[in-house]
Amino acid sequence: MALPLTYNARNLVARKLSSTLTFLIVAFVVFVLSLLLSFVAGIRASLGATGSPRNIIVLKPGATAESTSLIPLDDLGPLIQTPGLALATPLTGTSAAAEAFATGRLRVGEPLLSQELAVQTMLPRRAGGAAANVAVRGVDDIAFALHADVRISAGRLFTPGALEVIVGAAAQARFAGLELGATVPLGRKGERAYKVVGVFTAGGGALESELWAPRTMIADSFHRRLASSVCLQVRDEAAVAPAVAYINGPSVGLEAKPELQYYRDLAEKTREIVVLTSVLVGIMGIGAAFAVATTMYAAVDSRRRELAMLRALGFARRSIVAALLVESLLLCLLASACGLAVSAASSGTRQDFLSDTTWTVLAYELRMTPGIVATALLVATAVSVAGTLAPALRAARLNIIVALRKA
Amino acid sequence: MSAADIELVDLHKHYRKGRIDIPALDGLSLTIDAGSFVAIMGPSGSGKSTLLHLIGGLDSADSGIIRVGEYRLDRMSERQLTAWRSRHVGFIFQMYHLVPVLTAAQNVELPLLLFRMPARERRKRVATALEVVGLADRMDHRPNQLSGGQEQRVAIARAIVTDPDVILADEPTGDLDARTSQEILQLLSLLNAEFGKTIVMVTHDPRAAAFGQRILHLDKGVLDRDERNPARPAAAAHAH
Repeated sequence: MALPLTYNARNLVARKLSSTLTFLIVAFVVFVLSLLLSFVAGIRASLGATGSPRNIIVLKPGATAESTSLIPLDDLGPLIQTPGLALATPLTGTSAAAEAFATGRLRVGEPLLSQELAVQTMLPRRAGGAAANVAVRGVDDIAFALHADVRISAGRLFTPGALEVIVGAAAQARFAGLELGATVPLGRKGERAYKVVGVFTAGGGALESELWAPRTMIADSFHRRLASSVCLQVRDEAAVAPAVAYINGPSVGLEAKPELQYYRDLAEKTREIVVLTSVLVGIMGIGAAFAVATTMYAAVDSRRRELAMLRALGFARRSIVAALLVESLLLCLLASACGLAVSAASSGTRQDFLSDTTWTVLAYELRMTPGIVATALLVATAVSVAGTLAPALRAARLNIIVALRKA
Repeated sequence: MSAADIELVDLHKHYRKGRIDIPALDGLSLTIDAGSFVAIMGPSGSGKSTLLHLIGGLDSADSGIIRVGEYRLDRMSERQLTAWRSRHVGFIFQMYHLVPVLTAAQNVELPLLLFRMPARERRKRVATALEVVGLADRMDHRPNQLSGGQEQRVAIARAIVTDPDVILADEPTGDLDARTSQEILQLLSLLNAEFGKTIVMVTHDPRAAAFGQRILHLDKGVLDRDERNPARPAAAAHAH
């Protein structure tokens, strides 16, 4: 039978200094780990919530993102022949598309094919005031039919041909000067003043971090005569693959990707962060394991006679190993709970992520998931076991007689 | 209530210190009756502590027979000896060796954790053991809240709580003043007389040894003298 937990807990309390130091180190490792994983989970959730299963994004061959793609308008002609291309059908509800239909800006039967122009502009952040890149998307009204989760939450849609802009809710929350009625300087030198006329949401996806304005006005302001991308929608999901094959084929010669896959690929860029996180946490974990080992070696050394006495009473070697492992686990799991609690306090808060693919800021929410909690507890357990096994085995192998004699 | 006799035949135990061979026991043979109180004396290095460790299954002999009750310790593995100790022997050490972070009751309870026993039964046994040693009112005290004599009483309660066949005491009064020593030795005598426990006690102190019914003098690993103590005759029920 195992020694009582009070024995382990009180021994930890008895060695206040070393227990506290180890506690802080393990708590810090778990805090950093869970925060980094929350960051990755948040970005993946934000990008994962973007896109429709029937949408296809068309880029210049070789481009990995809209920011590096330029498509001559002449190349867009064959896209109208894409097999399975859907036509606009009336939408009702609260979406921007429904509003566009209701006001006659969108007509039934229009091909669902949206030329889009993605550019960036620098805006000051609300926090700190430092400027950062924000994505600006020039779109025609048809874009609202393709991005049906876009909803105007305040104000109204921009007017085609006007220097007006609607701003994503996440962008408005992160950047200063995007209030309704404010003017935003856009253009190559920021020489055009666009009036903020509306705020939109997009299901928590990446589009919410963008500013949308009439495509023709953005093209003029930024001196860009080309499209960055074309988004098109097909009738059903089964039509996606043939449409992608057609666009990638010689008839069009552009590069098409299902929209969901495009955003998934952007999210995959966070894999590097996961690798770096793993390396960083691995190094910190090794350090923490050494801290645990130091604490447990000290514990064994100061309790040699006590441990030998337990062996003399009839406690088996495995009971001694188990007692020390439980003691260390108790410390490490309490520390990880503390680290997780501190990290969880920032869960749900909005953060910025500067994408190295789009060179724009993506707003995301830190997300503490059950998987992150499990990973953090697993790491804490691994640190505990790695740091305790050697001193525990040494304790179990103590020569009872010698240890009992030693002063 | 249980007790065991002890039989040692031609025991040899040598230690090596570098290249030097140090004989601790050199062909020792003796028997100890069940229910007797035996004191072992001798100069440092005479082998008395080694003898106690061998009888308690803490160490193994190079050769010879060690029988305690029906158990041949010389034929047991280290794991079997560990299990045997938990059920058949109670140890009392000079330095008490109580766990400082546990209360008196929790210290006494430790050996019972090795038994499949309901918590209520454990608590009952602990209370009884502490009552026997006169510390029923100190159950919740930590070792640092007890005097040396009280600590040793807790250690004695821990040694008897499993109702072992043999109690082995290694200089149990070595760290106590004269008056407290007397109290502890009287307690051991009580355990022997009232509960019939076989007690083997190693001591340097002739006044402590005088509590034994039999005093064994060891020298250079052999039995030098075997005295019966006329002041403490063995109880008839326990004599062979």
